[in-house]
Amino acid sequence: MSEWLQQAIARADSIQDGFEDQRATSLALLKDIKWPTRKTEAWKYTPLRAVERSAAIFKEESPELEPVAVEGLEFLELTFVDGQLVSLPEDLPEGLTIEMQESSLFAEIKPERHVFGLVNDVLAADVAVVTVAEGVAIEQLLRINNLLSNGAQGHIRVIVDIKAGASLKVVENAEGQGASLTTAYTEYQIGAEATLEHYRFALQAADNVAIGGCHFKLLESASLNSSIIGFGSDLQRIDTDIIHAGEKADAKLNAIYLLDGKELFDLHANVEHAVPNCTTEENIRGIAGDSSRAVFNGRIHIHRDAQKTLAELNNRNLLMSDKAEINTKPELEIYADDVRCAHGATIAEIDKKALYYLQTRGVSRSQAQLMLSFGFINELIDQMPTAELAEWVRPIIRDRFSQMEVK
Amino acid sequence: MTEQIDKALAREYEAGFVSAVESETFEPGLDEDVIRRISEVKGEPEWMLEWRLNAFRVWQEMEEPDWAHVSYPKIDYQAVSYYSAPKSMKDKPKSLDEVDPELLRTYEKLGIPLVEQQMLAGVAVDAVFDSVSVVTTFREKLEEAGVIFCPISEALHKYPDLVKKYIGSVVPTKDNYFAALNCAVFTDGSFVYIPKGTRCPMELSTYFRINEQNTGQFERTLIIADEGSYVSYLEGCTAPQRDENQLHAAVVELVALDDAEIKYSTVQNWYPGDEEGKGGIYNFVTKRGVCHTNAKISWTQVETGSAVTWKYPSCVLKGDNSVGEFYSVALTRGRQQADTGTKMIHIGKNTKSTIISKGISAGKSNNSYRGLVRMNPGAEGARNFTQCDSLLIGDQCGAHTFPYVESRNPSAIVEHEATTSKVSDDQMFLCRQRGVDPEKAVSMIVNGFCKEVFKELPMEFAVEAGKLLEISLEGSVG
Repeated sequence: MSEWLQQAIARADSIQDGFEDQRATSLALLKDIKWPTRKTEAWKYTPLRAVERSAAIFKEESPELEPVAVEGLEFLELTFVDGQLVSLPEDLPEGLTIEMQESSLFAEIKPERHVFGLVNDVLAADVAVVTVAEGVAIEQLLRINNLLSNGAQGHIRVIVDIKAGASLKVVENAEGQGASLTTAYTEYQIGAEATLEHYRFALQAADNVAIGGCHFKLLESASLNSSIIGFGSDLQRIDTDIIHAGEKADAKLNAIYLLDGKELFDLHANVEHAVPNCTTEENIRGIAGDSSRAVFNGRIHIHRDAQKTLAELNNRNLLMSDKAEINTKPELEIYADDVRCAHGATIAEIDKKALYYLQTRGVSRSQAQLMLSFGFINELIDQMPTAELAEWVRPIIRDRFSQMEVK
Repeated sequence: MTEQIDKALAREYEAGFVSAVESETFEPGLDEDVIRRISEVKGEPEWMLEWRLNAFRVWQEMEEPDWAHVSYPKIDYQAVSYYSAPKSMKDKPKSLDEVDPELLRTYEKLGIPLVEQQMLAGVAVDAVFDSVSVVTTFREKLEEAGVIFCPISEALHKYPDLVKKYIGSVVPTKDNYFAALNCAVFTDGSFVYIPKGTRCPMELSTYFRINEQNTGQFERTLIIADEGSYVSYLEGCTAPQRDENQLHAAVVELVALDDAEIKYSTVQNWYPGDEEGKGGIYNFVTKRGVCHTNAKISWTQVETGSAVTWKYPSCVLKGDNSVGEFYSVALTRGRQQADTGTKMIHIGKNTKSTIISKGISAGKSNNSYRGLVRMNPGAEGARNFTQCDSLLIGDQCGAHTFPYVESRNPSAIVEHEATTSKVSDDQMFLCRQRGVDPEKAVSMIVNGFCKEVFKELPMEFAVEAGKLLEISLEGSVG
């Protein structure tokens, strides 16, 4: 067991807030858990040295931080700074409620298998519960900000319950300053015929540790459209779980990762088809430059009775430098016969012929490279349903590309 | 009713019979003394014994792997007998006439081309009956070409330098649990050496059989293709029906030196256990080849047997421009579990690999593809293409894909594709409309599904493989 985990357990043990009983199960599991190593399948390519080395502390007092502005959009802001909730949106639209749980709420959606999920269970101080009443469509976007000051440690948990026929748009925004560490988990229950438009942006500083996940449970005819965009950092790990718990549910996940320097980014996407007649479409694209490392694991699990499932996963990667590394593992686990399932994964560099073509038209080599890699990613950005967000993120990604040194 | 079922079961496994050959068998159990005895019986040199003992010590430190998608009751390694030799081997037969007629009849029942069939089939057979090679044919013709094809125990005496140089060079002792066990207790297997620039004049073939009850079968095969040579090697297995699980942990090492080519084909039909999964062979095999510059290794396998299969024929593409291929058909039914695939390790420049894997699951079986494609930093311009297709027959089976793709060179291109589907209603409808009965239709569709792999097999093998699939699929439709 690592020293870091021991400290986390010690801290959790010392918390006295009347929720000790709720915390007990996770704490017991955590005390028993083996610290992941290279031999732990879920952490095979992702060393935890950055966590072990982290000196991030729980701050008594945090500075005031403001989340980044997005032109043309007014969010309902739910803001955490260093793991503490600092602001709740005022004037909530009708049908939307946000309540605070003083301590961890041990929901059913997040799987228990994850060591940092358990850490989050016992250390998340403020747990926000967002509820959308039956049949209500919330037009304004709700933004969950996870802000961390320099050298701080914070753990946040948000639970979102979208009742039958309702709809919600959520942006999860993480902004961590240097040398910080966070675990951030959100759990969504999408009710019958309800819809969720979801974004998770992890565009933070290079020298922090961010581990977290989004867990979605879809009831009958529910629909999910999720976009994840991440830059790497010392350690950036996102686990998404999509659970089809009701028939005719539909899930779409688009994810992009762009890595530079010595960054590490690890995305684990797990889809559980527990019932028949559901569909899943996943498009994951990544670019790794300099001496970065990208890890992707995409698992689709079709249970025994989940007939008539349609599930597709496509993972395409560009490797930009001979020191970078991409590890991908698309997995299918299928126990039903009347299903259509496919996955594909590719790793390659930018097409030399396309590069040459652009150069013959007078485009400089670096400009051509930028155009081609941007085109590779832009296809997914174009699919983002809220155009303002796409407009906002595009220049950020373009900047990222121009910084990336291409050899 | 039960009678009918019994009859049907008896018919399904054609090779299921026990031949009454007396054997000399060690008591079950494994310790250093057992290893010393094996080495003594084989009359091995001192260094070989040391090598085995070292492997045994390594093995004791290791843990049985649990990452494969299979489950089986814990194996008691002390309940296995580690040596068994047909008795009539004691005074080494000089020709076929001296061979125990019971043995010969066993081979004939299996349709192994030994006596008259030898010439017709043009195959040299090194038949392994339990643990000792009984008879080796066509030796002289091969000798003319300079090809060495003999039991590995014999090679240890005749060509100790070659064996010492290459044994364990591809699959090191510490490689994995089952390989370490094999290193410690292997009894026999085939040794092949093809000299420089030689094209082996015929296809080499080994038939394995597990015969003695409770006897672990630990084969060790070593094939060395010297510079510019070519060899095609066939391995086929059938085993008699048994009630107790039998352990099989073989190691196959291939060395393809510069410009050499090795084609290794397997049809595996160990006893899969009854419909409830009782009995049946545990097949934990380590197969790996090293390709030097411009060399090529091609693995083709048709897996229809065994209760549990754990097998990953791999290629280490060490030399520039070397090529690795893996073509596989794995069919599981009843309660069979197969976790099979390949590893392609690209080290040299411009190395190429192709993986075509076809998995068919029926009954209550589970069939997994597990593969690794790794592009090392030096694998400039390397290329891989992987295609894994799964076919499900019935709603009680499982088909799984676990591919690992790792790239550390930007100029390398890796492509992986996988699909899963069932025999489509349209296809079935079309066949039935033309008067083809459903069972035959499924067999036709499955054969078509596997065509890409079958065409890689040598002709006789392809026919046998097709027939094997047909027999195996009997009763899985409806």
